[in-house]
Amino acid sequence: MGTALILNTSTLLTLIIITSPLFTPLLSNTLTASPTHIVRTIKMAFMLSLLPMALFTYSGADTVTLCWEWKLITNFKIPLDFKIDQYSIMFSPIALYVTWSILQFATWYMASEPHITKFFHYLLMFLTAMMILTTANNMFLLFIGWEGVGIMSFLLIGWWFGRAEANTAALQAVLYNRIGDIGLILSMAWLATTTSTWQILPPTEPGTTPTLPLLGLILAATGKSAQFSLHPWLPAAMEGPTPVSALLHSSTMVVAGIFLLIRSHPMLTNNQTALTLCLCLGALSSLFAATCALTQNDIKKIIAFSTSSQLGLMMVTIGLNLPQLAFLHISTHAFFKAMLFLCSGSIIHSMNGEQDIRKMGNLQTALPTTTSCMTIGNLALMGTPFLAGFYSKDPIIESLNTSYLNAWALSLTLLATMFTATYTTRMTLMVQTGPTRVSPVNPTNENDPAIINSITRLAAGSMLAGLLISSFTLPIKTPPMTMPLTTKTTAIIVSILGLILALELLNISNTLTKPKQTPWANFSMTLGYFNPLTHRISSSLSLGNSQKLALSLVDLSWYKKIGPEGIASLQQTITKSSTSMHTGLIKAYLGTFALSTIILILTTTHL
Amino acid sequence: MLLHHWYFYSTFALSSLGLAFHRTHLVSALLCLENMMLSMYIALSIWPVENQTMTSALLPILMLAFSACEAGTGLATLVASARTHGSDHLHNLNLLQC
Repeated sequence: MGTALILNTSTLLTLIIITSPLFTPLLSNTLTASPTHIVRTIKMAFMLSLLPMALFTYSGADTVTLCWEWKLITNFKIPLDFKIDQYSIMFSPIALYVTWSILQFATWYMASEPHITKFFHYLLMFLTAMMILTTANNMFLLFIGWEGVGIMSFLLIGWWFGRAEANTAALQAVLYNRIGDIGLILSMAWLATTTSTWQILPPTEPGTTPTLPLLGLILAATGKSAQFSLHPWLPAAMEGPTPVSALLHSSTMVVAGIFLLIRSHPMLTNNQTALTLCLCLGALSSLFAATCALTQNDIKKIIAFSTSSQLGLMMVTIGLNLPQLAFLHISTHAFFKAMLFLCSGSIIHSMNGEQDIRKMGNLQTALPTTTSCMTIGNLALMGTPFLAGFYSKDPIIESLNTSYLNAWALSLTLLATMFTATYTTRMTLMVQTGPTRVSPVNPTNENDPAIINSITRLAAGSMLAGLLISSFTLPIKTPPMTMPLTTKTTAIIVSILGLILALELLNISNTLTKPKQTPWANFSMTLGYFNPLTHRISSSLSLGNSQKLALSLVDLSWYKKIGPEGIASLQQTITKSSTSMHTGLIKAYLGTFALSTIILILTTTHL
Repeated sequence: MLLHHWYFYSTFALSSLGLAFHRTHLVSALLCLENMMLSMYIALSIWPVENQTMTSALLPILMLAFSACEAGTGLATLVASARTHGSDHLHNLNLLQC
């Protein structure tokens, strides 16, 4: 009883504390919400959210809190309830820790921004929506959070709205998310009509759920988590400020799709079609994103594609029927990915806005803290043993190797893991080592505690989080314990191969000249030709077809040609051809009269 | 049919054809009209002689009076059209043409 009370009250209090800077300025004129104030608020919320996490680690208790119920019709009630289970309890402190670091970094990064308070408010609204999403117990509340994060993503990507690319990127994000929302609404409708409730529950009969709602959920995850066919918005979302990329598009928003699949795992468990679809889709996205990241030159885009690749890996884990492992990867990934983005932000400001890695080099001497934390983050991303990424990535690869699945997904995922090591090494070497390619005069300075504290805090998380989380959570399914040596060390071998590949390629580019454009390099650089193919063709096709239907068919043909104008034109043809005969001369009329009379007489009287 | 009947029929028919197929001058149409009237007058006059009754003996005189009025009207129209169109050429009378 006491456990449940503490869990409920502390979680609700955390949520209220997160939203408090948004409405306290409305209550009184003296209460302001300055950026440092907001940072302190989030720090307090993080400290408070550690309490439920500690309690859950100790007792394993989870609760559902029911606050209010919207009685739509007698049979269908939509409650306002919060599910405080292992996923939301573990996610809240991690998200708040990462957000705290990002907000502290943003006080330095956006210091010259005149609307910095509005920026922080937007980030807070986003965080509120994300918290609603993770603590939701029914699909309605989850949908509220889902849409909330989508809209805040739009507003934050288009923060510098004077820039046309930022506007198109924000629009792209909203449109691709909308396509995913179709799937979510489909499954919500199916759930409402079939099970008559929107609670996220295991199915009543232990058989399989029909594939249709699961396809809807997978479509929703494809849209939100940038899986292969709905992926272009994620690299384009790098138009937003770096704190936005760090918070939304690495740790929190893009994992919302995977989180939805984790939450609805009881429905997914027995349906092998849906699981195989997740597996193959995740493997494809992972490899595609890793291939695209190989030839990118913008540091933020490399990290964005890295995020996309790791999201594909999470989808693969869902396809292996291991939701807890996917959640573990979400948690560890949040730390090092956010840190990589913050490091890139620090580098970008030090390079006076330069984001191209071909114009950076030898930053180890100029920005030691940033670059060493970046190295830690990259090693964690590659799955270096005993850093954070290892505890989630290695079990995924081991489970892949020891499961009964198709070899295509397995080989794609291993190839993607190798490419992860390759592009990570390439980025590290080109940014941190080698001859300096920066311009001589640069405001290279990282001596601000806002940067140092936030990045090192996340670095500590990247090193320790994997160990801490995996030692304190009970696995629901037994992990594979015995396997051959090569299978056990597959991930490490593949990563080392990728690293050697990157070193070799960078050596070549230093010493020999190679052709600039090969077919494979073109494929990777143009992101698989996906963007121009789909964006132009699909929109022109649909707009053209709808114009033909609405304008030509309905308006022109049915309303005009078949009716008034058609008859009018028909008459006009006849009259135009007979006008030349209407001379107005009376002789013609009399002549025809006489002629017709003669013919009449001749034919009737047989003269 | 009796021969004199055939004369009247053919005269009337030829004059009406002449009215329908007049070529250049309107006055020729009016002449044909008079001719039609003339043939009808003679035919109407012969008719009581053949039937030996006096019932329709007034008819030719009436017809003559009306046709005289009509001829006068026609000539007045001819003069009016000559005043407006400059001549009585038929291809000028095309006000109805669109």
